[in-house]
Amino acid sequence: MAANATAFNLGTYQRAERKLLLTVVEWKVGTNVKREILGRRTEDSSIEYNADIAQTTDIRGINYADINKTQPQQSFDPYTILGGSELGVLLNKLRRENALTEFNQFSVYIITAYLGTSGAYEAERHDGCTIAINSLGGDAFVNMPIDVYLSNDSFDQNGKSTGKPAIGTVDKLTDDFAFSADTVG
Amino acid sequence: MSTIDKNKAIIEYLLTCNNIKNSALYFNLIDAKDGNIQIITTSTDTTYDKSFIDGSKPKKYTCNIVTFKSINDLALVVGTSYANENVDDVADVQTLIDWIDEQNEARNFPDFGTNCIINSIKTTTDEPRFDGINTSLQPALAMYSIGIMVDYIDTSKVIWKDE
Repeated sequence: MAANATAFNLGTYQRAERKLLLTVVEWKVGTNVKREILGRRTEDSSIEYNADIAQTTDIRGINYADINKTQPQQSFDPYTILGGSELGVLLNKLRRENALTEFNQFSVYIITAYLGTSGAYEAERHDGCTIAINSLGGDAFVNMPIDVYLSNDSFDQNGKSTGKPAIGTVDKLTDDFAFSADTVG
Repeated sequence: MSTIDKNKAIIEYLLTCNNIKNSALYFNLIDAKDGNIQIITTSTDTTYDKSFIDGSKPKKYTCNIVTFKSINDLALVVGTSYANENVDDVADVQTLIDWIDEQNEARNFPDFGTNCIINSIKTTTDEPRFDGINTSLQPALAMYSIGIMVDYIDTSKVIWKDE
């Protein structure tokens, strides 16, 4: 069993407000790192883990379920075209250019602000994530719903795959947060 | 300023409209006379309001604008001429609706403070609503009303702060 589980920073029976679960996209423009939170004007969005489960039942009738893999993804519908959104501009550029290979170069932070303390909210970082545009249009305002596919992977300082997300904390809830990876051991 | 009294903001905003500026403007209470205008506060049901996942919340501010106008009891056509004060009065009230529409197109909105992102300001009808003639007044006055709705996003509960 995984150790070091942290208690929720909530009062007894207090429910965690949805805004405490944040999805933040990071990408590079030259040497500059850009970040943007997802979910503005989105009423409902969940991370779907899409677990691949193999179930067996032994001769006593006992069930066993093995999780072979998860393929987490999160949909944002609507993803409204909003003035001031740099990510929206980038995605629209990639869409126009049909730059398929550039849709998978995002890092995504999942910040669980109901865990940890102010100045050290628990978070995970997935590198090499993909954002797919599903459609473009809508009724009164232009909507470009997207799916975010989390990689379950992160890159070390040398850019090598670690085979798992980076687990750590963020120091604040703004674009310029610092992510501190947990030390192993 | 992060929090602003929305009634004060809408009054300041409406006073930039010549139609309102040149009239005696009252808030809730009124001295009912020809040409006087009354802002009446209304409330919006929030029972089924839903927040966005970032903690922001779509909201609506609403109020009614009532204009009092003297009435003319003459027929529309007298002899060969056509003229009627009542018709002109409706057209006069209509100018406020047109002004609101122009401001909305130009995205010129009232200042609700930095915690509010205003999406639109609209009137709830395309023409003034005739609310009848108040015969208890001396002289009797016609009342025309316009509903105003400001559609905005309240970001005061958002925990993610943009730089």
